Amino acid sequence: MSGDAHCEKLREVGAELALGVLPGRERAEAVAHLDGCADCREYVRQLTGIGDRLIGLLPESDPPPGFAARVARSLAEQTAGPEGARPAGAAQGRRGRVRRLRLRLAAVAATAAVAVGFAGWAIGNAVEGAVTAASSPAVESEPVLVGDMIPAGGGQPVGEVYAHPGSPAWMFVSVALPGTPYNGKITCLLARADGTTTRVGDFPVREGRGNWGAAVPVDLTRYSASRLTSPDGTVLATAQLQKGKVVTPEV
Amino acid sequence: MIFRGERSGGRAIPWRPSNVHRGVSGFRFPVGRLPDEALLSGLATGDPELAELFVRRFQHRVFGVAMAVTGDQQLAEDVAQQTFERAWRHAQIYDSRRGSVGTWLTTIAHNLAVDAVRARRTEPMAPEDLDPLLDAVTETPERWALADEASTQLRAALARLPREQARALMMAGIYGMTAQQIADAERIPLGTAKTRIRAAMAKLRTALASPKGGGHVR
Repeated sequence: MSGDAHCEKLREVGAELALGVLPGRERAEAVAHLDGCADCREYVRQLTGIGDRLIGLLPESDPPPGFAARVARSLAEQTAGPEGARPAGAAQGRRGRVRRLRLRLAAVAATAAVAVGFAGWAIGNAVEGAVTAASSPAVESEPVLVGDMIPAGGGQPVGEVYAHPGSPAWMFVSVALPGTPYNGKITCLLARADGTTTRVGDFPVREGRGNWGAAVPVDLTRYSASRLTSPDGTVLATAQLQKGKVVTPEV
Repeated sequence: MIFRGERSGGRAIPWRPSNVHRGVSGFRFPVGRLPDEALLSGLATGDPELAELFVRRFQHRVFGVAMAVTGDQQLAEDVAQQTFERAWRHAQIYDSRRGSVGTWLTTIAHNLAVDAVRARRTEPMAPEDLDPLLDAVTETPERWALADEASTQLRAALARLPREQARALMMAGIYGMTAQQIADAERIPLGTAKTRIRAAMAKLRTALASPKGGGHVR
């Protein structure tokens, strides 16, 4: 069968494939064709998007009372269980509720700051919600690490990194590399003062822009900088980490 | 507000853009208004309070999908719980380029619900459930006036489909029924069932690709 004939066959079953209801043998044949046909992949991708949005039209429904608390408690129990039940990358150890709340406040506030400042998320809501009484008491977090991402050749900051050295430790990185229409993955490294590095992970960028948050199972206080590199190891930007603190209104 | 340096003498970080409010008592951002993606990033840390916040934000949507597919309160609750557990486990691999957090969650819920129904019943749906659900997804009452334009376009396009095509699409897309199951339920030839699914999806694709239909689907 020619390529065109395969494409024609794919167009006949593409809707069923995208909706996940194509029986096994036909599905296997269709998937095999998609491996080598970008046009048909794009076609099915569009239909899959329609299927996903169709699900999004379903009416909301009230869960039983206490559902959210029960689910959260279940997740907490799994967190306290064997390592295999934990989310990938989450650090071990549990602390007191007060300390956890403070860590949460610090992490959440800083995440919001980075997200709003660089990713363009919900800026209107942030400003609207922010106009509250200015005299509320505040909660101070433990020290955090923050830094501007400076491009390899120097110049204006192209992003920012926020690192929370608590337990679990985690990072949020945001970058917008000007004039870099790069699409793909870049690597985030943590660098010590002696120049040695630890690879934190890869994250995707689109046209040089990306935002990424993740738990990091390391002692962040041992690192002095964060570095972003391309797949071939070229350094794209570096942030010198400085100690800081987050202040959030007490809730 | 975030200060750099030691507590006593640090300076404020010049977060950009500058229209983020900073009052005298510090940076202010109601946790309930956190962007979905940022909340999901926090969920990946395993924090139970972030987990509850996350569940509260999406529980109605997730439970709605589970109820629509299963039609069973207890089974829907099980599916909804599994959905959040799966999201919690896989929060770090969520890719915003492939859809919103809400879409990601409802897709997980839908897959789990379809699997749960397939495992427990021979009939994927009660026939009397279909028409009310179809009416629900095509209605355009005032409360949808603020919905995003793409959803409004999709509802309208769905409402314009011939009823038999819309039914076939709902059976496949919502209840996860194969063309053969649709043919059996509707007492039509298999080829007709396949044609109805294909025609319905083609019309939605065309409607959403028009300039008025938004740019999400070309």
